[in-house]
Amino acid sequence: MMQSSPFNLRRAIIWIGRLVLAGIFIYAGYSKIFLPIVHPRPSIGAALMFFALQVDSYQLLPPWGVNFVAHTLPFAEIALGFLLLIGWRLRIWATIVTLIMLGFFAAVVRSYALGLQINCGCFATPEPLTIKTVFRDAGLAALALLMTVFAFIEARKPHPWSAPEKV
Amino acid sequence: MEVFSDFQCPACKTLFTTTNRQLMDNYVSTGKVYLIHRDFPLPMHAHSRVAARYARAAAQLGKGEAVEQALFQNQEKWEQNGDVDGTVAAVLSTPEIAKVRALVKGGTLDAAIDKDYALGQVYRVNQTPTTVFHCKGQTYPYAGVMSYDILKQFLDQLLSQ
Repeated sequence: MMQSSPFNLRRAIIWIGRLVLAGIFIYAGYSKIFLPIVHPRPSIGAALMFFALQVDSYQLLPPWGVNFVAHTLPFAEIALGFLLLIGWRLRIWATIVTLIMLGFFAAVVRSYALGLQINCGCFATPEPLTIKTVFRDAGLAALALLMTVFAFIEARKPHPWSAPEKV
Repeated sequence: MEVFSDFQCPACKTLFTTTNRQLMDNYVSTGKVYLIHRDFPLPMHAHSRVAARYARAAAQLGKGEAVEQALFQNQEKWEQNGDVDGTVAAVLSTPEIAKVRALVKGGTLDAAIDKDYALGQVYRVNQTPTTVFHCKGQTYPYAGVMSYDILKQFLDQLLSQ
């Protein structure tokens, strides 16, 4: 009988992906809602509207779309980060995180290709969007994709710590 | 609001013509917002420092806004032929352009431009346009163009804090 080992490469990548992406998503959401770079601390409304300016700078969405993204994305990032950490229904949340990461990657590549002189807006810091940002987002999107694919593959196997089947 | 801008930068032109005009009409002229133009001529632009000198000289005569508008609206022309003087002369009277030319030739304007540039470096400005918002001791640095609708909502949030 074939049995999956508890310590294989796929499981390691799922764990790395969960921890790395959860940390990044939670911090990204927190920094947009609370703007730790601004002192004294602004109101949440002002912080979210500042993030709206950064979303707007990508020149992708109409004003209502900018407002929708700016007022939902930071909370969604925090929620998804915690759901990845917990691991409950991992395949669903990993798929959503992957779609979001691919969306970020597409937006960053487009802006870089158009030569837009803007800030990334990823962590609410004045970080210019450069080729480094493109590679970073590509790496994170690839990690999210691998985590999701491996989560689906591993879910089809018996749990490594489950009791062996009787023949 | 401090806007670090380069007269030869296309995004600065977009910001000026699409957003900052409305901002001046609705927030600056009503006294809700102070808008400060800061010169940040990028080294890669051959004529932007010359344009900054002319704009500063015109500002000393109270004609800064008219010259700024002329420089941005005719950006494509003077960045091709380098005729900043002609562009500015078109919106000033003969005595005014004579005074502006004298100030530009006087060589005293570069110190003020360099001061703005140095201030930009303090704020870690590395691209134009960069807008630095100040409100109740808070500082928000922002790079890029912004639409007036979103800027208006942000300013209303800041003013209501």
